[in-house]
Amino acid sequence: MRQSKLALSAGYAALFLISALFIIPFVWLLRSSLMDLSQIFTMPPEWIPRPFHWDNFHRALTTLPFGTFFTNTFIIVVGVLIGTVVTSSIAAFGFARIRWKGRDAIFGILMSGMMLPAAVTLIPSFLGWKTLGFYDTYYPLIVPAYFGGGIFNIFLLRQFYLTIPRDFDEAAFVDGANYFQIYGRIIMPLSRSVLIVVALFSFLGTWNDFMGPLIYLKSDRLFTLALGLQMFQGTYTAQWDLLMAASAAVVLPCVVVFLIGQRYFLEGITLTGLKG
Amino acid sequence: MRKGLLYGLLFTSPAILGFIIFTLGPMAASLGLSLTDYNVFKAHTAFVGFDNYSRLFSGEDDLFYKSLGITFYFVLLRVPAVIIISFVVALLLNMNVKGRAVFRTIIYLPSIVPAVASAMIWMWLLNPDLGLINSALRWLHLPTSNWLYSESSVIPSVVLTTLWGIGGTVIIFLAGLSGIPKQYYEAIEVDGGGWYSKLRHITIPMVTPTIFFNTIMAIIGSFQVFNEAYILTQGGPNNRSLFYVFYLWRTAFQDTEMGYASALAWVLFIIILFFTFIVFKTSKSWVHYEGGERA
Amino acid sequence: MSRQKKSVSVLIALLLMTVAILSACTKSDSGSGADSGNSASPASPSGSASSDSAGGEKSNEPITLRMTVWGAPEEVAAYKVAIAKFEKKYPNITVNLQHIPTDYDTKLTTMVAGNDEPDVAQMESASIAYPLAEQGKFYNLQDFLSSDPEIKQDDLVPNITYSLEPGNVIGLGPGPETFALFYNEDIFKDAGLTPPPSKASEAWTWDEFVEVAKKLTIDSKGRNASDPSFDPKNIKQYGVNIGTWWGNYSNFVYSNGGDFVSEDGKTFALNQPAAVEAIQKMADLINVYHVAPSPVQAKNIPATNIALQTKKVAMAIDGQWATAGLAQSKVHFNVGVLPVMKEPMTTVVSGMFSIFKSTKHPKEAWELEKALLDPDAAIDLLTAGTWMPSYKSWYTDPTLLAKWTENLDSRPSGYKDAVVDILLNDSHQTPTGYVKNFNKIMDIVNPALDKVWLGQQSAQEALDSIAAKAQAQVQGRRDVKG
Repeated sequence: MRQSKLALSAGYAALFLISALFIIPFVWLLRSSLMDLSQIFTMPPEWIPRPFHWDNFHRALTTLPFGTFFTNTFIIVVGVLIGTVVTSSIAAFGFARIRWKGRDAIFGILMSGMMLPAAVTLIPSFLGWKTLGFYDTYYPLIVPAYFGGGIFNIFLLRQFYLTIPRDFDEAAFVDGANYFQIYGRIIMPLSRSVLIVVALFSFLGTWNDFMGPLIYLKSDRLFTLALGLQMFQGTYTAQWDLLMAASAAVVLPCVVVFLIGQRYFLEGITLTGLKG
Repeated sequence: MRKGLLYGLLFTSPAILGFIIFTLGPMAASLGLSLTDYNVFKAHTAFVGFDNYSRLFSGEDDLFYKSLGITFYFVLLRVPAVIIISFVVALLLNMNVKGRAVFRTIIYLPSIVPAVASAMIWMWLLNPDLGLINSALRWLHLPTSNWLYSESSVIPSVVLTTLWGIGGTVIIFLAGLSGIPKQYYEAIEVDGGGWYSKLRHITIPMVTPTIFFNTIMAIIGSFQVFNEAYILTQGGPNNRSLFYVFYLWRTAFQDTEMGYASALAWVLFIIILFFTFIVFKTSKSWVHYEGGERA
Repeated sequence: MSRQKKSVSVLIALLLMTVAILSACTKSDSGSGADSGNSASPASPSGSASSDSAGGEKSNEPITLRMTVWGAPEEVAAYKVAIAKFEKKYPNITVNLQHIPTDYDTKLTTMVAGNDEPDVAQMESASIAYPLAEQGKFYNLQDFLSSDPEIKQDDLVPNITYSLEPGNVIGLGPGPETFALFYNEDIFKDAGLTPPPSKASEAWTWDEFVEVAKKLTIDSKGRNASDPSFDPKNIKQYGVNIGTWWGNYSNFVYSNGGDFVSEDGKTFALNQPAAVEAIQKMADLINVYHVAPSPVQAKNIPATNIALQTKKVAMAIDGQWATAGLAQSKVHFNVGVLPVMKEPMTTVVSGMFSIFKSTKHPKEAWELEKALLDPDAAIDLLTAGTWMPSYKSWYTDPTLLAKWTENLDSRPSGYKDAVVDILLNDSHQTPTGYVKNFNKIMDIVNPALDKVWLGQQSAQEALDSIAAKAQAQVQGRRDVKG
């Protein structure tokens, strides 16, 4: 696609402006993580720490057992990620690429699961898991990912699967393929970019979730990074310098994962290449 | 055709089972509880029929109507803003520019910075006296605002603060844009069309499934806005940002009236269901699936 | 789109079906709950007495107690010290400390719903402590107090006992907190002004306070608020940060002889002359004299230690807990007694520890409660400035007093008069401890007061306008029988 020079420079200008706005929170987090308490709150804000308090990181990461928290988070994130990508894409295939009676009705019912505020389902869900004997385990946090991985992801994938031309399936059927082969050989490769998006969202969502671990865990040896961060924030008090340093340390891996992950949905997929 | 029902159920069964096991039970429980005077701490729970619902609609609870109105206003402002701005930003990020990996990452950054940190910055940006935004407006000799601190501007201000979180929506648009075959654009170029006809005849029709998705999710998410009230405004000033789900949460966990809160939740459920249904219904006329499927 | 329509009806049918199943569930739930509720009528001492004798002497079987707390890492560390001491004294008891880092009430509510209550819980009188107590979830600690050989109610400082009704104590505060006037000594020195007196008998009147605050409020051109050309739009240093939450204004409402509800507990009283005057005077500091930041401006005033250190404010009305942060900041701070409207007064606030009725080991839980109240165990929090001790002897016995008030960064020269003495002599219970249905009343009062602090309405107008609605939520007082 050719772009005129003028359009390109206008685009750059707009991108720089927007980026400047969107980078503020992150820069704020980084600079606060290196400041002492009094400087964090200076108004109007200062942007360069004087002096640089690198020890904030050391203090924050040694006050609490962040090594354990990291391992725990890693276990949950990997568990959720695999389950979500596999089962949501299978379900979305069933809702988008197979025609069957009752399909859209059932899809509608699944959608309704997002429409009731979680505040009133929290306690029934908790009671259910507790009755099953899974209180203070990772099951409530991981197992649902293996049962569809959330209607949000199914809906997202469905929308993308619906845009893939049907001729592909028809041609494959003529060649004697079944639904599994169509799913594995046609749909999956063509929807790589959106699968990466689903994987990214479920990674980041799980990494940053503290409400789930808060409700379903009680032993602090099982706590996650996101829950650990809350300890600095406290219910009635906050240790801002340590909170900011620990937050920065927890957010940085997300940024790296994102930088790597987004490369894979950067490039569009040329459908004609497959069509031939 | 080709045992569609069998395979359809086979492929969707994990999701259907998951819904029945993990979602339906708690939903049904809350529906049932909305017909009781359930209080988590109370030993006895009595069936009260539709009392909770008649209390809602009787006008006795003026915060119900107030929070509902506020939430509608918020949805009305936020949904179009999120869709349009995310789409424009996604178009920009989809240009063939150097360093777009970095630009894309930056757009997503606010979504992963902890909410308390972002809230601190908004407090500064929107501060009427010292804030950056009012300072800039004064410098430009434009009228300033009290933003989060005045009854008339608090909702638009909250909408503004949520726009930092459009990263996810932008990413989904980007994924949609990346699926558009390049030769479609080339065909337009052969016909001598410019960027406008590309946008009008290729880009927009091709991303309608993504626009549809993002609109539905924006509606569902905006009706359930909670964090902004919880962290930023506590519902003030003068209850003017008392969002529905914030009020519901307060009723459930502070006033410990879980039965009544469940009734509140189910009223919102019906409202969201209705609007989602409307959007689904209209989608037939504007969402274009290359796969030939209709909604 | 008929499919869509169908989906809705199928959904509704499905949900209605499950209601039947569910109502069965709730019934069985309430059944089991009812049992514990009946056996646990709050006023009867039989429950604790019988378990006392049961758990009394044969105390060598291993016992585990579970306890939930909130708090910053250093507070949790202090609890661990207290627990270690306790476990040493009772080798057969293990205390399982569960730190709930955020959304404490939500988490505890789900735990109660799941019959997973801890034995001992840190509770907050302004949140769900009373809703739990009203449903008979807590032991009456009065029974333990009256029969305990080591500790008497009279050994505790005033206003840290939380009661559901007279004679039914639901929690004891381990670390009381008073309110005081903190200030930056350098600012007073540079301005050549006399700092706030520390003795209650010499406390400033409100007018004296306003005059000093005026002189200490400086605009960007260096003029102070008593200067006719003073520019209230560009204030560099405020005279005082007052804080507009109920904890702060309750001090002055009480000092002026007002209250949240009337003495018999029947009438909403914040719209009565004494309370209105106190609130109006505070609002005037913001909107008439421009010596205190409005709630909007206060959003950019950091915590008291930083605000005083960076000279954003010269004085700050804050809780005693501020001394912990002040001690860590490099600032010459000191503390004076609050200005007086009619009589010197401070509200006392504190968290509390309560014992859940569901505990299998009430006697041991009480011993743990005592261990947590013991100032010796909390000594790190006392010296850091976070808490004050709960035992009277630690205020009156000079050796004990010295342990937590002398040669410490957190305890400046005015501390003994302005904080220690006033807690013993001129303190008032927190409204959350005696006003029934406090939160619901405040849900109505707070939005109205928003307008007062912002100068849009007078205190009288704003409070009168919601008086009827607030009155509808008034349910009486916990310190009055009946």
